[in-house]
Amino acid sequence: MNVSRRDFLRMCGVSAAAFGLTCTDVKAIETLLASSNAPAVIWLQGSSCNGCSISLLNRISDSSPKTIDELLLGPIDLIFHPNVMGPSGSEAVAAIRATKNYILVLEGGVPTAFDGMACIVWSENGKDVSYGEAIRSLAPGASKIICVGQCACFGGIPASGKNPTQIVSAASYTGMETINIAGCPTHPDWIVGTIAQLLAGNSVPLDEYGRPVSIFGETVHANCPRLGKEKAVTFGETDKCLMDLGCRGPSTFAPCPYQKWNNNVSWCVNAGSNCMGCTDPTFPTAESFYSPLGLSSFYGNKKKGRKDRRDDRDGRDDRD
Amino acid sequence: MSTFTIIDPITRIEGHMKVDVTVDAHRGVQQVVDVHVAGNLFRGFENFLVGREPTDAQHITQRICGVCPIPHGMAAVMTLDAASKTAIPLNGLIQRNLVLGANFVESHILHFYLLSALDYIDGPAQRPWLSSWSIDRRFNADQTAGLIGHYLKAIEMKRKGQEAAAVFGGKQPHSPAYIPGGFTNVPTQEQITMFAQYADELLDFINNVYIPDAEALASVYEDYTEIGGGYGNLLSFGCFDEDVAGKKKLFAPGYVLKGSRKKSTFAEAQITEQVKYGWYKNSTSKLKPSKGKTEATYPKDDAYSWMKSPRYMNAPMEVGPLARMWMSGDYNEGVSVMDRQLARAYEAQKITEAMKRWLAQIRVGDPVFNKTSIPAKGTAFGLTEAPRGALGHWLKLEGGKIAAYQVITPTCWNCSPRDDKKQLGPMEKAIMGTVVQDPERPVEVLRVVHSFDPCLDCAVHVMRAK
Repeated sequence: MNVSRRDFLRMCGVSAAAFGLTCTDVKAIETLLASSNAPAVIWLQGSSCNGCSISLLNRISDSSPKTIDELLLGPIDLIFHPNVMGPSGSEAVAAIRATKNYILVLEGGVPTAFDGMACIVWSENGKDVSYGEAIRSLAPGASKIICVGQCACFGGIPASGKNPTQIVSAASYTGMETINIAGCPTHPDWIVGTIAQLLAGNSVPLDEYGRPVSIFGETVHANCPRLGKEKAVTFGETDKCLMDLGCRGPSTFAPCPYQKWNNNVSWCVNAGSNCMGCTDPTFPTAESFYSPLGLSSFYGNKKKGRKDRRDDRDGRDDRD
Repeated sequence: MSTFTIIDPITRIEGHMKVDVTVDAHRGVQQVVDVHVAGNLFRGFENFLVGREPTDAQHITQRICGVCPIPHGMAAVMTLDAASKTAIPLNGLIQRNLVLGANFVESHILHFYLLSALDYIDGPAQRPWLSSWSIDRRFNADQTAGLIGHYLKAIEMKRKGQEAAAVFGGKQPHSPAYIPGGFTNVPTQEQITMFAQYADELLDFINNVYIPDAEALASVYEDYTEIGGGYGNLLSFGCFDEDVAGKKKLFAPGYVLKGSRKKSTFAEAQITEQVKYGWYKNSTSKLKPSKGKTEATYPKDDAYSWMKSPRYMNAPMEVGPLARMWMSGDYNEGVSVMDRQLARAYEAQKITEAMKRWLAQIRVGDPVFNKTSIPAKGTAFGLTEAPRGALGHWLKLEGGKIAAYQVITPTCWNCSPRDDKKQLGPMEKAIMGTVVQDPERPVEVLRVVHSFDPCLDCAVHVMRAK
């Protein structure tokens, strides 16, 4: 239970390979954490399913502190997180207002219909405060803004179709530069690694969608262990390429094939399922998850027009 | 002398919710005399499913809830299986059950320790746990230290439950492996061994830590077996088919009124949704979910919630582990805060033992998926259970696409606002009359709220009547 900041630094050292932290960075984090100026973290939830927070609880790495509880007991000064925090009510809101130097983490998109009241985050001075209002008051004072998950980064599933609550991504709603940790949900190591980079005072190189290049630099397809294998024509076949069943691997940038999920237990393709493209800004497209072949692909039937579209995808892959 | 206090948000639940409580002296005892439970988030899942391919439903609807996505995946594929009249192979059924079961068990562990325990003990003395609500603490220092140790262990067990689900399901939250006709994963002996190890570890924790802690809580806070009861109306759709024909279930469907020990037969046709006090058009009230509409309107006179009010035979029904364990005959001690906590803990044990049994039925090499043919036109529904209670999906197909989709979640049953007849929702009823020592820090109300394991962020406004 008694986890020191030193333990946290060991974790950062272990993560260094994945996130490009150097010994100098680790030293810088140590200096920062030793001072009272270490940034606090304020985590707000908007129009989302909270799956990214649940995913964060799955954090585990090779070295102490291995898990999220050790991280929370250690150096992270988590001021506000609706799922895990002890305090409720005005005490919780007061903690936010008393915080000056903080990283703002946003989970969920911003509904703009109904005056923003499709998502109310708390009451303050007797008034309901919408998620949008909370962002407007907290974003300008944040040292950095991290959007966690597809809904915050790009609107995600609640913004799909006719977008009934007129959701705007938290990233664009702030009007400021945000670091977009994509994914539905996002991976715990992507969150922790990015925060470690920020604590080290490093700039985090971002792609055109605001995603850290160190995480979202390669396609799933490029690293897929089933690349080049015989094509599956229906589900339930062992170790075959899922391209013809709608796999989004060629157009999806994520490290899932080698980082995997849930403590390296598995990932989508390993479970015989096509990549759904859940880190792509277009997720979920209006098309079926089992397109580009369309619904018929679900039963293993081929459909005209597939080849052209797949060639486009292969072309995109080649550029990388 | 009147006091007006607003406490908002309540934390340690998922989603967005608000509870207004008016506290006043009644027969000389300071207690809750009025209450409104309100959902504070509207996303309109039913609306953006319209026009999509039906085989997307299990992936879209899992994103309703990151805490319990698997039940939505299950309900969606059951709905599609019903539409196509497809029987799924045993390996598909078992894998669906195992991933769902793992989700139940880790969700229950998460609830008891992370979401609920801090109503009774102080957490570690640092943020994010530091709180001034240190009221009515009855455990001694040693017991509290033990519980905090278990709290931290529970985070590990919750993680391992998610890892167990990922063994067959690919990942958690949001498994891609649920498909109409079965399951995508082809099980291997290695996966079976790995899942068995997780199940053993979970069962060990449940038997030696979780259940003893829940029993200790119910003993130290025995007065809470008389608090937070509510209507005593309990409903379960039943879940975990144990054969491919769907005849035998681990939890049988059924309902009781007013805490009766004798259950009655459940019929889907008796469900309606009412919206007089929700931000939905009044013209859509009292519809059956198969004909349901989700047409938002805000603001609206009288309305105070983004939730509809589902009713069974026009009665408000409580759903959840207590209702399931009641219908299955495993637990019927009573309906209260502590009965909910105990039933949840015992259910975790029952499900984990069942998972070990199901695991032995997997036959490596047998099919996991039957090709299905979903009709272009038609209706279907799928009823199952989530950790928090009864869950239903209703589908209408036209031109091969989703023409209408309705979802009734467990929290909608439990946390619904008043219905058209002004009957309180089940949680509202359970909070009414709760004796409150300090209206500015009504920990008693929090204990009732958390006993339902609401899948919502919550805010309590406390008003003391003038």
